[in-house]
Amino acid sequence: MASAAISRGEILHLYRSLLRTARQFCDYNIREYTKRRTIDAFRQNQNLTDSSAISAAYSDGKSQLDVAKRQAIVYSLYAPTIKSVMEA
Amino acid sequence: MALRAAVLRHVRVAVQTRGLESNPWFPSGSIRLMSSHDDHLTKEEVADRVLSVIKSFPKVDPSRVTPEVHFQKDLGLDSLDNVEIVMALEEEFKLEIPDKEADKIDSCNLAIEYIHNHPLSS
Repeated sequence: MASAAISRGEILHLYRSLLRTARQFCDYNIREYTKRRTIDAFRQNQNLTDSSAISAAYSDGKSQLDVAKRQAIVYSLYAPTIKSVMEA
Repeated sequence: MALRAAVLRHVRVAVQTRGLESNPWFPSGSIRLMSSHDDHLTKEEVADRVLSVIKSFPKVDPSRVTPEVHFQKDLGLDSLDNVEIVMALEEEFKLEIPDKEADKIDSCNLAIEYIHNHPLSS
């Protein structure tokens, strides 16, 4: 794997992209879960110093972003007909 | 049958005619349906809503929030919180703030300024 240092800007960009993708889910539960999962994961890894650990976490986040983007599209095809009581 | 015809000839049903004024699809007043961005948000309104979004952020002490407050220096937030606040502001004002601009917004003043000048904020 390329071990080039990952900049702060790139990480914040990934964070923002994940949160933006989370917003696209039509199901309340999945939307909130994706958001919560993103925030928790970044908090958990915020004190990483080892550059290989950082790049591993970064590429993991990247692949999660791909999953989230794909699933947002798939779930939009099967959108719930009734809104969750939480967003009423 | 003759009776029925005779009765019908004499009974008139009052027809209610609605003037154009009362037609909900064509209001004669100054209200224009489906037009949203005519009246822009005032700066006070933007400031109020920005402050209330920031006050409702879980890690922020609401009593320390003022229009001049800096997110990281004054409120003890970090860069991840900063991203979350800008996202929350986007949701509140129905905006999409590009990354470059979002990175610059690090204080209440800048947020209010940016949103006030944004043509699509609502």
